Amino acid sequence: MYGTRRWLLCASLCVSAASAAYAGPTAEVIHWWTSGGESAAVKQVAQAYRDAGGTWVDTAIAGGDQSRAVTINRIIGGNPPAAAQFNTSKQFLDIIEEDMLGTVDDVARRDHWDQVLPAPIVDVIKVRGHWYAVPMNLHMLTWIWYSKAAFAKAGIAREPASMDELFADLDKLKAAGLIPLAHGGQAWQENLLFSMVLANFGGRDLYLKVVRDRDQAAIRSDAFRKVLVAFKRLQGYVDPASPGRNWNDATALVIAGKAGMQIMGDWAKGEFIAAGQAPGRQFGCLPGLSADTPYLIQGDVFVFPKTDDAGTLRAQKLLVDVVDKPAVQRAFNKLKGSIPVRLDADDSGFDACARQGMAILRDPRRPVGVPEIYLSPDQNGALQDVLTAFWNTDMPVERAQNSIASALRY
Amino acid sequence: MNPDTTAPPMAAPAPAAHDQPAPAVRRARRRLTPARIGLYVFLLGAALFFLLPLYVMVVTSLKTMDEIRQGGIFALPHAATLEPWRLAWSGVCTGAACEGVRTGFWNSVAITVPATILPILLGAVNGYALSFWRPRGANVLFGILMAGAFVPVQVMIYPLVRVLALAGIFGSLPAIVLVHLVFGMPVMTLLFRNYYCGVPHELFHAARIDGGGFWRIFLQVMLPMSLPVVVVAAIMQVTGVWNDYILGLVFAGRDHMPMMVQLNNVINTTTGTRQYNVNMAATILTGLVPLALYFVSGRWFVRGIAAGAVKG
Amino acid sequence: MARRSLSRATPYAALLPMAVVAALGYLGAGLWTFYISLTGSRTFPSGHFIGFAQYHRLFDNERWMLSLHNLAAYGVLFVLASLVIGFLLAVFIDQNVKGEGVFRTIFLYPYAMSFVATGLVWQWLLTPGDGVDGALRALGFTHVRFDWIVSQDHAIYTVVAATVWQASGLVMALMLAGLRGIDPEIWKAARLDGIPAWRVYAQIVLPMLWPTIATVLLLLATAVAKLYDAVVAMTQGGPGIASEVPAKFIMDHLFLRSNVGLASAGAIVLLVPVLALLAPYAYARSRKEAA
Repeated sequence: MYGTRRWLLCASLCVSAASAAYAGPTAEVIHWWTSGGESAAVKQVAQAYRDAGGTWVDTAIAGGDQSRAVTINRIIGGNPPAAAQFNTSKQFLDIIEEDMLGTVDDVARRDHWDQVLPAPIVDVIKVRGHWYAVPMNLHMLTWIWYSKAAFAKAGIAREPASMDELFADLDKLKAAGLIPLAHGGQAWQENLLFSMVLANFGGRDLYLKVVRDRDQAAIRSDAFRKVLVAFKRLQGYVDPASPGRNWNDATALVIAGKAGMQIMGDWAKGEFIAAGQAPGRQFGCLPGLSADTPYLIQGDVFVFPKTDDAGTLRAQKLLVDVVDKPAVQRAFNKLKGSIPVRLDADDSGFDACARQGMAILRDPRRPVGVPEIYLSPDQNGALQDVLTAFWNTDMPVERAQNSIASALRY
Repeated sequence: MNPDTTAPPMAAPAPAAHDQPAPAVRRARRRLTPARIGLYVFLLGAALFFLLPLYVMVVTSLKTMDEIRQGGIFALPHAATLEPWRLAWSGVCTGAACEGVRTGFWNSVAITVPATILPILLGAVNGYALSFWRPRGANVLFGILMAGAFVPVQVMIYPLVRVLALAGIFGSLPAIVLVHLVFGMPVMTLLFRNYYCGVPHELFHAARIDGGGFWRIFLQVMLPMSLPVVVVAAIMQVTGVWNDYILGLVFAGRDHMPMMVQLNNVINTTTGTRQYNVNMAATILTGLVPLALYFVSGRWFVRGIAAGAVKG
Repeated sequence: MARRSLSRATPYAALLPMAVVAALGYLGAGLWTFYISLTGSRTFPSGHFIGFAQYHRLFDNERWMLSLHNLAAYGVLFVLASLVIGFLLAVFIDQNVKGEGVFRTIFLYPYAMSFVATGLVWQWLLTPGDGVDGALRALGFTHVRFDWIVSQDHAIYTVVAATVWQASGLVMALMLAGLRGIDPEIWKAARLDGIPAWRVYAQIVLPMLWPTIATVLLLLATAVAKLYDAVVAMTQGGPGIASEVPAKFIMDHLFLRSNVGLASAGAIVLLVPVLALLAPYAYARSRKEAA
């Protein structure tokens, strides 16, 4: 009898151990990739994780701020996920300061992230010598998308190569009876337009002085004033129904040939392709007006909340390994419409616009972070408030300049 | 005014007299005076205003995305399709899973049922105690509840998260039910308190003289005649809980995400493509439960408030 | 003796959940929020005390000041419009109309729909070029422009329209029930005396409905203070910052801008007028009850 009991005990332990090993490390991942294309992309990562022996538990929450709010509340509540999505930005700096994030130093050193990742990204995910996030992708913020049909109708023969040529082309589009610039009047889109003008017209040095260094002299300079004037000048080329419009409704105008151009991130490509158009045929993509325009990059990362649970630690480690593989990066980025983060990524299979972006990425002078890479969420928000008020009201330029100076002072 | 009055005898003054003249009044009213015509014109006009958004939603949900892109929100669909509805229910992506909004349905039910019953019970007890027994300091507490009803819920999220985490139940079904209880208590207490204030207090005094204690009077006298206000409270609470997004998102835990979170995942993408037809279908699908409840209990709803729920 | 004190204690015991929720929940959270508003908290609440600096920053902030102004304008219009429309709908439905059930459902269904999508529909309806403006244009009224939603000064009024659409059905139902609680003898007596219907309503019915109106006012007022979903769905606080409201400002700074300190200060400031209004009301009621 004693022997039977021992045998049963051993059998049950063996079975449970075997089933635990079979289940694989379980990783719950919070993210905000909920649309069709994004969902297909994250499924690739989930599948790769499963192939590596793990169990992927998906917690998708639409809306970046909602998703991040849930992550933070879960961390506070003592029930953190294994991994959570953030933007490549200062959004998770506070969490690092509270010592609530785990590091990924071993994978970073093994894969030489110092050398293969663009510098702005490294500055964000490496804090005080430790690596805290795994970058998933790169988006470029300020592509110029244009409809070839609209350009033909307006008599524009070639792509604009300077700010003056851009305004001239916008005038031609207006004369042809089209909407020159398709725009959705939401605060972040106005922020995007401003970044484009600052990068293309102000140049790399002014951009970095204002956005990264928050140099008060640069903000109050005449060069920056000219940038603000050019930004406001763009407002004359959008249609009156633009306030509140979603970005993809503005893209729809370009797709239909009703509008000439849109300035939007590379996620707009998905809309064109879904409507059956191809780059170079029905629409064109310009990463910048000249060959040395700063290439504004942003992206998404996974962070790993600190935990004591051995199972979760294993899951996190496995996830970092899987996500950092070039094959997984490629599969994810192709479906998402972004480009891989590693500078040594293979660009075959990506469309013409993406390949252009990946080539630019390799030029060390061109990639520069979007404002939220350098500014805290609060500063970025305050800047956005001034810009959207300036765009929508009759605020004089000097007042806008002063408001930006005080917004970026804290 | 209305011959088929719906107020229970307890609270309505002089209920009995209007039964006789009803047939005569009704027949006399059938004459189409200009006033009657004006009345129907007003009601029909108002109905059109109210139905306009629903028309746009339904029409949009039957079009293809290409048609929607071309504009014209009032236009009828050229080739109506039910595909958006099928997608909304079971096919649209809400993350890595592409199973539509139906995945959240049972979670919402599991949250709504207790989060309606408990606040109603507690609101009834509170209202009963506040209006009949009036313990000292109770009105102060009621005042705090009323002030709290004005605070946006997001402000209270952090303290609630910490307290629930300390209690070890953060991110579970009891947590979200408890949270809905906290936020539902002000309105529920208000409804029941006003209802019981409209009930004649002679009834209460008579029951006390008969020897009834707090719970006996509540369970045997007051609760049975509270059916109308219970239905009112149920409608308001079910609508509030079913349509809640932010509390379910933060407190329910990943295994109990309500339908509203799925709906939000479908509608609110940041940089993904938006399928407006599926969004509209999904919204109507999600709204069917409160709507069905109104339809079924519409008569009671009106009847309940008549019995004094809203008397100050 | 023991039994009497036990029964005395029962009401207090029964009110214990309410006491806990009110004291720990609302009062506790309120005091904690006030404490945080005096700190420099960012993503996480911190103990870094900075006095009233957040309040200084708040009242220096153009967006916040505009949101208060918007809330006042919105609040008055929303409450008035919902009350009037709800009351009129109730009065007219109460006239023994055919299809009362259908009408009631039509007026109530907006309350069931989530504003996440209905807000977008309202945005479409009010967008110039399409929606109502486009329909007017197509009907031939080419010089009429309906572009409030893109106007700096008028955007907030479009939010009034959409939220009144959602709320007046509920107001109607509450008023209808109040009307049905009124003694029908009054109508008969008034008709015998030859008083016209509108005077009966104005001078007799309305005063009798005052308790109903008071409760509806309270419910509408809480909705005004918490206005958030409609603004986010319709205008995102725009164009620019024209239709900003306090609840959205607070929410944005709580999570999006990672500035819990400033958001808490905003919440406290929002509570001040509420307390200022509630306190005299409560005092008047307690005096009435004591009398």
